[in-house]
Amino acid sequence: MLRYFFSRLVTTVLIVFGAMLLLFLLTAVVPGDPAVTLLGPQASPELVKRFVSEMGLDQPIHVRLWRFFANVLSGNLGVDVVSGRSVWSLVLNVLPDTLILTFSAILLAVVTGVPLGIYAATHRGSLLDNVLAFVSVAFIAVPSFVIAIFLLLIFSIWLDWLPVLGAGRSGDFWDAARRLILPTLSIAATWIGFIARLVRTSMLEVLNEPYIRTSRAYGLSERMVTYKYALKNACIPTIAVLGLGLGRLLGNAVFVEIVFARPGLGRLIYGAISERNFPVVQGAVLVVVVLFVLINLVVDLSYSALDPRIRRDGAGGSPV
Amino acid sequence: MVHPLVSIRDLKLEASTNRGVAHILRGISLEIGRGRILGIVGESGSGKSSLAQTMLSFLPANVSGVSGEIVFDGVDLLKLRPSEVQSYRGRRIAKIFQDPMTALNPVFTVATHLVDVIRRREPGLPRKEALRQAEAALTSVGIADARLRLEAYPHQLSGGMRQRVMIAMALLVRPDLLIADEPTTALDATVEAQIVDLLKSLRQELSGSIVFISHHLGLVAELCDDLCVMYGGTVVESGLVADVLVRPRHPYTRALLACEIEDDAEGRLVSIPGEVQDPVAPMTGCIFAPRCPHVVEACRVTVPALRPSDSGRAACIRFEEIA
Amino acid sequence: MRALAALAGILRKVCGTFIGATGFAIVLIIIAMAVFAPIVATHDPDQLDVLNRFAPPSAAHWLGTDHLGRDLYSRLVHGSTIAMFVALTSIILALSFGTILGILAAFLSTRAESVILILFDVISSFPSLVLALAIVSVFGPSMSIVIIIVAITLTPHFGRVARAQVLTLKNAPFLEAERILGASGSRIIVMHILPNIMGTLLVLASMDIPVVITIEAGLSFLGLGVRPPLASWGTLVQDGYQFLTDSWIPVVVASLALAFATLGFTLFGEALRDAVDPRIRPRH
Repeated sequence: MLRYFFSRLVTTVLIVFGAMLLLFLLTAVVPGDPAVTLLGPQASPELVKRFVSEMGLDQPIHVRLWRFFANVLSGNLGVDVVSGRSVWSLVLNVLPDTLILTFSAILLAVVTGVPLGIYAATHRGSLLDNVLAFVSVAFIAVPSFVIAIFLLLIFSIWLDWLPVLGAGRSGDFWDAARRLILPTLSIAATWIGFIARLVRTSMLEVLNEPYIRTSRAYGLSERMVTYKYALKNACIPTIAVLGLGLGRLLGNAVFVEIVFARPGLGRLIYGAISERNFPVVQGAVLVVVVLFVLINLVVDLSYSALDPRIRRDGAGGSPV
Repeated sequence: MVHPLVSIRDLKLEASTNRGVAHILRGISLEIGRGRILGIVGESGSGKSSLAQTMLSFLPANVSGVSGEIVFDGVDLLKLRPSEVQSYRGRRIAKIFQDPMTALNPVFTVATHLVDVIRRREPGLPRKEALRQAEAALTSVGIADARLRLEAYPHQLSGGMRQRVMIAMALLVRPDLLIADEPTTALDATVEAQIVDLLKSLRQELSGSIVFISHHLGLVAELCDDLCVMYGGTVVESGLVADVLVRPRHPYTRALLACEIEDDAEGRLVSIPGEVQDPVAPMTGCIFAPRCPHVVEACRVTVPALRPSDSGRAACIRFEEIA
Repeated sequence: MRALAALAGILRKVCGTFIGATGFAIVLIIIAMAVFAPIVATHDPDQLDVLNRFAPPSAAHWLGTDHLGRDLYSRLVHGSTIAMFVALTSIILALSFGTILGILAAFLSTRAESVILILFDVISSFPSLVLALAIVSVFGPSMSIVIIIVAITLTPHFGRVARAQVLTLKNAPFLEAERILGASGSRIIVMHILPNIMGTLLVLASMDIPVVITIEAGLSFLGLGVRPPLASWGTLVQDGYQFLTDSWIPVVVASLALAFATLGFTLFGEALRDAVDPRIRPRH
């Protein structure tokens, strides 16, 4: 287990360093005068000057690389060229919004997708199974920003049930919760179908395994066989694929934040791109990458916690 | 007279395949006496494992017809509803499976497997007490460090060890009927001998009957009281092990005995020429006729019934002549 | 000839199911639209008619007009050309790189193999869409950047499968015989391995088409992909979304077209997978 954890940690660090290198290189390979390209032709000379010294663009490249890594590792993500605020504080400001949106979407997708998948697997060929098969493909196929636009159109504009935009006034829990519903649904829709299908397939596979026949031969109730003995096995491939898909989920969150004009990392990056604020893009993207690999690491480790065959050493010693 | 624990009468099992209806069991009749060990022997495809599955009402998805009866202690299991059959499983009937590598759930510890079986019998039992019983069961099947092994996952155990865990599970049920479906086929020879010795030594603890399915006559001779030889979904010969093995009456049993040493890993009897009859073909005469060295024209047109012989019962119209 | 017959057999199987037939029909419609866009379209997609903004569907404008009075139907038709172009180029690139790297990984030393595998891991561990934002912020939005990003993202997908397939093939008896007869490594790869793994890789490719369409539309929706006035489905959705309060028709029409296309390609890809080899797993 420790060795496995260690090797995963090394890959994670490699990925983060790779992302840092890439983000750094972007400033180095940029065509033309970097300051002009990154800030746009309208930037004032004063701004350009500040930007050049801020990013160290007047230094040789290896000095800049070293400075960039040293800064990031010491927690300094750079400074917003427009407002002069630190990028880290801008990110911290909106990070909770993105995290809340992502996690509520995952939560919703899991609590609805898993039971639907189990039901479909244990009632194979039933009406709901068939409906689910089609609906889940439809939700998986349709881009989440399209779903977001439709939800917005139907529930906010036509029916006027839910507020349209933003994250709500700070401190007003119910307002915030109401404004979270549609964005969460937009992201979760894809994932409900996705998880339901995954769970269904893995459940069907597992229910045919000889060890399930053993449980049945010993008269364990169908409920126990399904929810205890089969579900844990079926969760393993589900979680593995879920981890791989998290990147898409974060990407979806970016779009949904933009459609619903919600504050968050996605909107921060988007806004920074439109106002050519490269340090903010750089810092926020880096935070998203770190967030992403951390979530992946957690998924991976919980995966190995569920599947004892992956753990290297455990109780019981070596095979005899 | 004491009734047998199980009596199976004219059990037929049909399955639809893409080539037509396959006759898996073509009318099986046999009895399992109380407290006795019945050995069922046959090649792969003889229907012995299907018979074992049918006794637990585990029918493959493509089964299209079941008829006959399986009377267990006065109740026909085939007439019961699924929930009623379930109440027999793990209480009065237990099963040991062929492949111990896949028969245990890989993501649960040995303890979980055993405790759930114990709780099935005594639902309210505290976990501590259940664990104590589980440990005792592991010890009684010859597992050293039982307490440590309880926390092991199946993949951490060797094949023989896993089969011992399966046997411990069966012991905990204290079943009236234990079905052991080729419990040693997947194991290597020395471990196989250990497991058979273990089953033998457990006869006192298992007060019920045992059905021991094998393609290996030697093992059956060592362990069983009664013998039932199956071929092509039928019973061709049955009787006391001691009688049948000394005086085999059916040509198939003789052939089995003759080539006992030479069978290959999959349980096909290499030295009997010819193939097992296609299960899709209807039975018009003796099922063994195409491979039988003593075949005459009459064998091909009449289906032989099981008749009393001097060593039990045999389904051959010529067993007196060829003896 | 044999390949054609096999293809016909597979397509017959795909169309044998309702879902497969629906998907195949949608795919055909979209490909036809993409190829014959100038003929199928009723108007010049960029022709402005500012006096006729937000016109409802009519005989003149089948799906109505957008905020600049451009014919929505014609813009959608031309959008399909762009979507198909981006999807095909990026997938062909990813397929080629992935296959080459995958075969190399299977044949080179274990060290080179692990380097390639780590590269694949790193690429697929990146939240590629978010990184795409960073790249676009530097280079500015353009179609070629979208194609390159998508191609890089999908390369490991093909590479891993190619490697796994080659590894199982490598020790196949018929290749052993070829080697003993003195066939060179490259001959074995071109004559025997490629034809054997292409089926699986093409199925994967077809399942990736809707993914690429989504990414392209998504980036264009953000104004970071195909740049206006080019009519990408993503920009059409964005245009409609901007003027949602003036008319809901453009955004609904554009979104539905996009959803229709991705759904059709997904259904087709899955039916194709089931027809060729149900064990092939999609990536996401």
